[in-house]
Amino acid sequence: MRTAKPAKLLRLHFSESDRYGDKPLYEAVVDRCKELGIAGATVFRGLEGFGETAELHRRHLLHHDQPIIVTVVDTPDNIARLIPQLESMLDTAVIAVSDVEAIRIEAPPPAS
Amino acid sequence: MLPKGAARKVTIFVNEDTQHHFGTLSDAILTFLLHKGVAGATATRAVAGFGTHRALHAANMEARAEHLPIRIEFVESASRVDELMPTLYDMVSDGLIEVQDTLVVKSVSKDAPPEPTPPRAELRGPARLMRIYLGESDHWHGEPLYEAIVKRLRLLDVAGATVYRGLLGYGVKGHTHKSGILPFSHDLPIMISIVDSQERLDRALAEIEPMMQDALIVLSDVDVVRLVHHENR
Repeated sequence: MRTAKPAKLLRLHFSESDRYGDKPLYEAVVDRCKELGIAGATVFRGLEGFGETAELHRRHLLHHDQPIIVTVVDTPDNIARLIPQLESMLDTAVIAVSDVEAIRIEAPPPAS
Repeated sequence: MLPKGAARKVTIFVNEDTQHHFGTLSDAILTFLLHKGVAGATATRAVAGFGTHRALHAANMEARAEHLPIRIEFVESASRVDELMPTLYDMVSDGLIEVQDTLVVKSVSKDAPPEPTPPRAELRGPARLMRIYLGESDHWHGEPLYEAIVKRLRLLDVAGATVYRGLLGYGVKGHTHKSGILPFSHDLPIMISIVDSQERLDRALAEIEPMMQDALIVLSDVDVVRLVHHENR
């Protein structure tokens, strides 16, 4: 089954060492997306990068501080609903939103 | 070397002992093709066969072993085949010539001299970016789906593809892809990103869509700046 529709792609950049409450920020972001009923979220880890503070984020001997990118694809409405929620969780980060066309491929439901 | 794509395949059936001037006809045809710079030609000696003479020639019949069928095959572009055909038509005094449309999928040579590296070129222009989200544990005919997709894209001459593995994620089905307690989990999210022209991506999409059971494909417009050493597309 195939459905194609215009959608928004949100990318969120922050650091692996960022925390929210007692867990890594990226886990907290994914949990928040789930609570809000967002279609999906994926977390990627970069090798090296720098941001606002110009501090180089890379792998250190004892702790991990690599760049993290969270990508979310959903309807424009859901993305608009998500952004204020994310803003309240983040200290410094970059949120980038772009227009995309999303094609969802689903396995047909098992014949009963 | 023969380019990939549509071509013609010519098959010529002759008898091993048919003469042409001072040699055999099959030798004469191969020599002619070689001199004309045909990409390649192969002559094979059959085990058995019969033709218009209605006599069965087989290797185990001693008297007729000298009279076995020879099959000469070569693949060339349609225009080259047209150019060679009048001579071949004239040469084959006893036999059969057959031409069929074919598709060259791969044509490589180990001995081909490395192409000299031209100065770096810059290609700029609008293109499409395609991101495919799937799971690491998705399979297609026994191999990881992301590997199968990348191989297929390569076959389709897509400019390039990169596979990323995520740390954590979830999709529409709601099941979380997360590395487990064991160090090697194999159900992490996978994202493949591909940049190419709209037409080529549409063609690739038509081929890879049936391979996927459950996936999300995201398309967006991008501007590309490609730094390449040779412009082959």
